[in-house]
Amino acid sequence: MSKVVIIGGGWAGCAAALSAKKAGAEVILIERTDILLGLGNVGGIMRNNGRYTATEENICLGASELFEITDKFSRHKNVEFPGHKHASLYDVTMVEPEVRKLLIEKGINIMLQSRVSDIIMEGRKIKGVVIADGNVVEGDVFIETTGSTGPMGNCAKYGNGCAMCILRCPSFGPRISVSMLAGVDDIIGQREDGAYGAFSGSCELSKDSLSAELREKLDKEGIVILSIPPEDVNLEKLNLKVCQQYSLKEFSENIILLDTGHVKLMTPFYPLDKLRKIKGLERARYEDPYSGGKGNSIRYLSIAPRDNALKVEGVDNLLCAGEKAGLFVGHTEAISTGSLAGHNSVRLILGMPLLVLPRNTVIGDIIAYANEEIKTREGLKKRYTFSGSVFFDRMKKMGTYIIDNDKIKEKMQRLNLLNIYNDRLI
Amino acid sequence: MKKRQNCIDAGSEYCPCYLAETFNCLTCSRLQGKDFCDCNWKGICVYQEYLLNGNKIKEQRDYYRSNVKEIEKIGKDSYMIKLKVTKKLARQLKVPGSYVFLRSERLPQYFDVPMSIMQSDDFNGEIIIAFKIVGAKTISLIECRDGILVKGPYWNGIYGISNIENMENKKCLVVARGISQAPTLLVLEKLIKNKNKVFLLLDGGSIGEIFIKKYIKDINSIDIYEENLMNDKGTDLIKDILANEDISLIFSAGSDLLHKKIISIVDELKVGPHIAVTNNNKICCGEGICGSCTLRFKDGTKAKTCKVQIDSRKIIERRFSIV
Repeated sequence: MSKVVIIGGGWAGCAAALSAKKAGAEVILIERTDILLGLGNVGGIMRNNGRYTATEENICLGASELFEITDKFSRHKNVEFPGHKHASLYDVTMVEPEVRKLLIEKGINIMLQSRVSDIIMEGRKIKGVVIADGNVVEGDVFIETTGSTGPMGNCAKYGNGCAMCILRCPSFGPRISVSMLAGVDDIIGQREDGAYGAFSGSCELSKDSLSAELREKLDKEGIVILSIPPEDVNLEKLNLKVCQQYSLKEFSENIILLDTGHVKLMTPFYPLDKLRKIKGLERARYEDPYSGGKGNSIRYLSIAPRDNALKVEGVDNLLCAGEKAGLFVGHTEAISTGSLAGHNSVRLILGMPLLVLPRNTVIGDIIAYANEEIKTREGLKKRYTFSGSVFFDRMKKMGTYIIDNDKIKEKMQRLNLLNIYNDRLI
Repeated sequence: MKKRQNCIDAGSEYCPCYLAETFNCLTCSRLQGKDFCDCNWKGICVYQEYLLNGNKIKEQRDYYRSNVKEIEKIGKDSYMIKLKVTKKLARQLKVPGSYVFLRSERLPQYFDVPMSIMQSDDFNGEIIIAFKIVGAKTISLIECRDGILVKGPYWNGIYGISNIENMENKKCLVVARGISQAPTLLVLEKLIKNKNKVFLLLDGGSIGEIFIKKYIKDINSIDIYEENLMNDKGTDLIKDILANEDISLIFSAGSDLLHKKIISIVDELKVGPHIAVTNNNKICCGEGICGSCTLRFKDGTKAKTCKVQIDSRKIIERRFSIV
């Protein structure tokens, strides 16, 4: 039996597990913490701007399952907020159990609370990964979806210290870089000023800690915009953050709240006493990170060099996806790369040519574009997402930003890619 | 495989230590001078502890001036002493593998001698230590009644400590010979507490006396045998227990020769219990600084054995590939 081992159970890992399974592999998904989806448990923004196109492309390719869940459990659809159109906001309290159920139903072997701490190499191939308890999991092909965030020492060095985010390193131990253990140097993202890494772009407040009036408005409209007292406006903070699609002036002059079950606050961190000066937020407290008044997690510290089929350079049987595969932001980006890596893992086992998505698909283009840019000094300071910043501008320029589902389907059909992830290869 | 070091002190109240300050931390890649995290996680972020402590190391272990409360001669050249210590120190010394440094306050620091804890009473603040006279340091100890300096706690007296700590509801074989009977008591306590069935093989060894029996709690629940472990009868007894009982852990307390014997029996019988052994290395400072305990292994790696947990097979392999 052909065995694919995926390290990291976030959105990218879950997507990779599904497509590898569909292509016929035995799949083991190893996750450090006690829940899947990683940062997907505190995110929730889907289908905004170019993510709409990417979502529909994924569905056409065959990677529809996870989007069915996020669509089904969206609390709000077609929400507009500054710079963003037709966003869906999924309910972060509903999605993880559904994804877990789906993966189990599909026969994916999920190992929770299992932290990979080392690998065993045989020449240029990974033979197995070593779990922190000493057990070894062997496989034919490995997919690294460990992300690029933290651990604590990095958040201390490049941020404001551990802010106690959903990744919970103190409880479950640190992320490791499989590719680096395999002898491949990590690529490190930078901020505008050249400092390493970037802060996660948003935090979450406990909904119960907001005023009844704000809660009601959020439940109804999905979004609330509150203005920041002029003495507290900090434009420089925009440069700190990961999510350049949210680095607009509106985001520093206003508090933008989105209803994702919790309340998403679109800023990397915000001192609690200042936050509580704003009407309706007098009792506010953070849900994620718990110390959102002080800091947030630091990301983009561990990216593997890879080709456009997502195979890691220098290791014969390692693929990567999600943030590990580039300076990507977002769930949609993680699912897009994860699904491709999962599909290609089976092709790699079989010795088939790996699938590279053509550049007139937005998914193929973002994978290739991010790979070109990451090789430049300036490119290391950019983030790549369908929902804004340089890549969304590029989509608009190239005419690939399409929100007509039929047109997207027609294109995918023309490219002979329809349902390609649903083909069983073994 | 990455050759990571497993520091026994990582995450303790003495971590980060001087090794971190000098960028020689055994655990944290940052405190080895590297730019990014790649640690052997021990439950805390050593780097964050260092930063939150104002870029300083934690306060390190100090000397405690103690008195000998009781002294008892065992065998022909060994002694058991009971020392007064703080209740806190006694509490910290209740785990298997605990040791302290002792010396007379009238003597210079290089008289510090590491001693395994035999028993620790945290209610009264007392510890019992057994030692054999072997040289200048140990001789100076028996002449000392008042003003004995105790420095501790240290914990790396046993290799494979996690095997002992994680053992529950299993069958365990404990072999103890000579002065190494002393560190066996804390191991027995732990194994019994975790509801293990213990087979205990005792041998007076060069001391010529079995001295721990009266200190064993729940002695009735333990199967005790007395035999010279280094002769054929002893070998047969060990083999017999290993062959007939489903032993999950062997703890060997004695010389490296005893460890080697146990490991060869295990290999010969093709049984696969976890193994823990006493750390018999020459330890001088206990802080990973002085270098006297550093070992170089067959695979080219080195380790400071006062702090680092090492696979018992590696120790034997080294010892007997040099001899």
